[in-house]
Amino acid sequence: MPKSYQANELTGIIKIDEGKCKGCDTCKSFCPADAIDGAYGANHQIDNARCLQCGQCLVNCPFGAIEDTVDVVDQVIEKLKDSNTTVVATVAPAVRVALGEEFGMEPGKLITEQMYGALKKAGFKIMDVNFAADNTILEEGTELIHKIQKYVLNQPVEGELGPLPQFTSCCPAWVRYMELYHPSLRQHLSSAKSPQGMAGPVAKIYGAEEIWHVQPEQIFCVGVYPCTAKKLEASRPEFTAAADYWKKKGHTATYQDTDVVLTTRDLARLLKKLNIDVRNVEPAEEKDNPLAEYSGAGTIFGATGGVMEAALRTAYFVLTGEELGELRYEPVRGLKEVKTAEVPLKLKENGQEITLKIAVVHGTKNVEPLLAEIEAGNSPYHFIEVMNCPGGCVNGGGQPINPMGTSWTGKFKAILPW
Amino acid sequence: MRYSYKEKEVKINRREFLGFAGVIAAVLWTGAYTVTDLIVDRTKYIKMRTAGLYQDDEKQAKRQSHHNQSLLNMYKKMNFQPLSPLAEELFHTHYVDRSVL
Repeated sequence: MPKSYQANELTGIIKIDEGKCKGCDTCKSFCPADAIDGAYGANHQIDNARCLQCGQCLVNCPFGAIEDTVDVVDQVIEKLKDSNTTVVATVAPAVRVALGEEFGMEPGKLITEQMYGALKKAGFKIMDVNFAADNTILEEGTELIHKIQKYVLNQPVEGELGPLPQFTSCCPAWVRYMELYHPSLRQHLSSAKSPQGMAGPVAKIYGAEEIWHVQPEQIFCVGVYPCTAKKLEASRPEFTAAADYWKKKGHTATYQDTDVVLTTRDLARLLKKLNIDVRNVEPAEEKDNPLAEYSGAGTIFGATGGVMEAALRTAYFVLTGEELGELRYEPVRGLKEVKTAEVPLKLKENGQEITLKIAVVHGTKNVEPLLAEIEAGNSPYHFIEVMNCPGGCVNGGGQPINPMGTSWTGKFKAILPW
Repeated sequence: MRYSYKEKEVKINRREFLGFAGVIAAVLWTGAYTVTDLIVDRTKYIKMRTAGLYQDDEKQAKRQSHHNQSLLNMYKKMNFQPLSPLAEELFHTHYVDRSVL
């Protein structure tokens, strides 16, 4: 078992091709965990025990020398051909604004309907991870509200609760960073699973029974994420909630909640292998599919500040009894490394006024000062969102590699007239 | 000797020449790099993709998670609430100390 991994977890996902590495050190400047060894000019290697598998080095390497070694495209195509298997694609928010780039569309083009259409044509059933993101808000938001009632308002609250401030737990690279480098603070992570962690059980329990009417064992759940660390997260040995649930009802099979994960790049490769082009596929709306219903709050999970903004919209309503007047919450938007805000709340029960203090961090290294505050016992915050990749999941390590990144050779290509 | 075929004495030795060439190359290199940096905003594609998500948010009829009717139906049909024992079982987890693994 490799160091810092649990049994059966995927490991060594990100790898530097020594034949292509020029030793330029670009990857080191993007690595959030100082996990890359090798002197300037010499071949570099990734220290797997330190690596978060986030893939930031991969998308920023100017020489395309870093690869994602976990390729399940052919395995998924085999499953799609098998008529006894219901292959469910659970698709993350940031995929719909980047998938088009692999087919020559402009970056950021929102292509939800074309993406659904392409997935259906390939033979997938669809569950939108945005649904699971809304689910995450209900669970994680309720947890936060209970903590506020317990620690801020000193009301009696049932159940076990971690301490404040509460950290978001949606980002698997950030969770691994906490578990590996600050394990003593891990109780501060929300106990709520990430949307991927919730999507699997929903698909294999509620989806199997109520939507697709198949046995849970027949469902092959394919996560589609902008993220290489999601491949590791899906393989966590404790993420077998659906199998555990069904065992209590007489089933015997053991399986992961999410069987395999494709990155946005992997999905594009799969579609191209099947000769499906998102530009001319018949768009699908999925209006009659309950697991594809989502709110605006669910979709902004893919950008820095999005989880916080989504949580605020619901927490504000639950605590004050009123909807947030202006839904665009600007203080958490934008690319500043650490964004903080104070949200005044007037409680609905007794009119008491409290101030919710929040922070939003992207780029995991930027979280260190906030962790130091917690260790020193003087953190002012109640709720802190952390996303490992700069800008959030939209810039994840599984996203299309864009010539506008740090690859200056690519930049030259972008300004040439041919 | 009337004609000297000896080349003019070079005022700069080999090591100094390499040094100057290196400095000049570095200056040109940095300049070219900075120019490409000015032409292309490194965060441009992050902003473009983020704008796509905010656009998706604004076009949704429902913009708060607690208004996702299909999600509320799921809780109702399976007869549980957030943070209830079944929710803990399906949707909550624990974290491990990886520094000792």
